[in-house]
Amino acid sequence: MHTTTAGSTTARDLLHSLVDHGYTLATGVPCSLLTGAFRLLEEPGDDARLAGLRYVPAPREDSAIGIASGAVVAGERAVVLMQNSGLGYSLNVITSLNLIYDVPVLLIVSWRGHDGNDAVEHDVIGAELLNLLDLFRLPHTVLDPTDPAGSVSTAIDQMDKEQRCSVLIVREGI
Amino acid sequence: MPAPLLTTPSLSLSEVVREMLARHPDALTVSTCGFTSRELFNAADRPENFYLVGSMGMSAPVALGLALARPDRTVIALDGDGSLLMNLSVLPLVAASGTKLLHVVVDNGMHESTGGQATVQRSDFVALALAAGYRSAVRVETSAELSAADLTAAPALLHAITGPRADGPGRRVTHTPQEIVARVRAAANRPTL
Repeated sequence: MHTTTAGSTTARDLLHSLVDHGYTLATGVPCSLLTGAFRLLEEPGDDARLAGLRYVPAPREDSAIGIASGAVVAGERAVVLMQNSGLGYSLNVITSLNLIYDVPVLLIVSWRGHDGNDAVEHDVIGAELLNLLDLFRLPHTVLDPTDPAGSVSTAIDQMDKEQRCSVLIVREGI
Repeated sequence: MPAPLLTTPSLSLSEVVREMLARHPDALTVSTCGFTSRELFNAADRPENFYLVGSMGMSAPVALGLALARPDRTVIALDGDGSLLMNLSVLPLVAASGTKLLHVVVDNGMHESTGGQATVQRSDFVALALAAGYRSAVRVETSAELSAADLTAAPALLHAITGPRADGPGRRVTHTPQEIVARVRAAANRPTL
């Protein structure tokens, strides 16, 4: 039995909000900051609201965006969860598929290295995350752990308005 | 590693596409970038075709997304040897998905769109697909083998050995990316027969 923590409550609220917005497919590659969210995707238990959110583990972040893009082209809503390191792999598919065909996908991206005090492999991408997103004009919102539903709504509104991949940034573990 | 080819392959991408469409006339088809999308466009331009112009290695993941969203539809990933080798991890991904994806790999042994440079090596995609968990995988080199290929247990992979294009790649895709998406979306949501 899992102990309920504040983080997992935030993750559950976040995923419920996605379901409420019509999301039916989640894919991605795990990050330790997103452990609670991935646990719920893998084991929704008796949470009936999560039963409608199918989870497909992906081997790499760009393939996850490819899967979500195919579902979006069919008319579904799909979300990708990843660590910010995965944005590097994802730049090709974002710039030569999503931003060319106007196929927006919601990205939930953890922010390792945001305070310069993380494991060394996160230093460079962590320091430049927001600059990287701004460079490709990807709208972004930092998750407010006290209002996950509000943050999700903001990210989806930005995506629908701009028709570009929108990024919900997760700074503290959920 | 498979033995080198002894003769120039006689199959063409167009012939492979025509055979697949004869079997699955309403299949949603996602073609990999470069000459593959161009040749699909010139062989059979249909609303069901999602022509990728970039994002090499993404035809199978995008096709998988379509297949997950529309499990009642036949979905074909039209891949090349170079693009599959770039993203070989799609094989276990597709195998684990439980979808009926039809993964067609047109293997001319080269990156023809960029000048005919050799791909890494002639690879045994049938063995790789079966090891990853595809339910069937068939290698074909001739029209007779293509016609006889049994791909009913899916996900399935067809490894078609093809020759270099005799007449070049044909016209570029004339639809805009936005038009392509609108056509595919409408086709994906059309009631099936």
